[in-house]
Amino acid sequence: MAVALQIREAKEADCGDIMKMIRELAEFEKLSDQVKISEGVLKTDGFGENPFYHCLVAEFPPEHRDPLGSTLAGYGLYYFTYSTWTGRNVYLEDIYVRPKYQGQGIGSKIIKKVAEAALERGCSQLRFAVLDNNKSAIDFYKARGAKDLTVAEGWHFFHFDNEALREMVRM
Amino acid sequence: MANFVIRSATPSDCSDILRLIKELAKYEEMEEQVVLTEKGYSIVGFAMYYFTYDPWIGKLLYLEDFFVMNEFRGFGIGSEILKNLSQLAVKCRCSSMHFLVAEWNEPSIQFYKRRGASDLSSEEGWRLFKIDKEYLVKMAAEE
Repeated sequence: MAVALQIREAKEADCGDIMKMIRELAEFEKLSDQVKISEGVLKTDGFGENPFYHCLVAEFPPEHRDPLGSTLAGYGLYYFTYSTWTGRNVYLEDIYVRPKYQGQGIGSKIIKKVAEAALERGCSQLRFAVLDNNKSAIDFYKARGAKDLTVAEGWHFFHFDNEALREMVRM
Repeated sequence: MANFVIRSATPSDCSDILRLIKELAKYEEMEEQVVLTEKGYSIVGFAMYYFTYDPWIGKLLYLEDFFVMNEFRGFGIGSEILKNLSQLAVKCRCSSMHFLVAEWNEPSIQFYKRRGASDLSSEEGWRLFKIDKEYLVKMAAEE
């Protein structure tokens, strides 16, 4: 890959492009109607007084703009979490590379930057979720030392959705 | 059962929180609880939470730890803690509350399901993965 790709921290001005990529991924999964937030919400939540997430973007130099005018090839969205047993961790919520840029090691570069950010902040672990039918992702992560805690230790993701929360408030 | 209050923790609560964290760890390793009756307890349960983010729906409340001492269960303390957390989630405009449960932990699974929780791992196939520090160091060192 001859073109110099840079992985950098997202700026507020990137939110329009990041929102586009979030929608692209939802579209690909045929779940476009599940995207409820807007560019404005993404800006407030990531660049306000109290950021709820951190984001890295993969960017080509300006001379390699795509027809849609975006220089971004992908993004990684993460946040810091806390385990009462192991202390600070990083949770990688989303990692996405635009289809035409896949297969060039960009995903690896993004995850490497997230790992660096995790180590800089004294984190013990990087955690994330993968769907059980996503074999290529599972192989990608296992090759980098990842361990499946659902299989190994029986941990299941649970949630109370918005309706259930409101029910509990009413109780 | 005497009246109880649910309140935010303060720095002086840390030794009690640590005591409960250790008790929770024991519970999750399935060891028998030894009930200490000589000491009186005023702090008998805790919940540890923080905010996380879903790029499709925004802010979430994440429940990291949730524990009520064995001898104080069955009095509605857990329910009250969850209700408190739900109010906080709604106030902070969180779409939902997420947490992990071990698949062998039947009492907890039932407790949560009775209150409307769903198991996303079973229903949608989500698996939790981790990468330990030694592998993060390897990745950061790679060219």
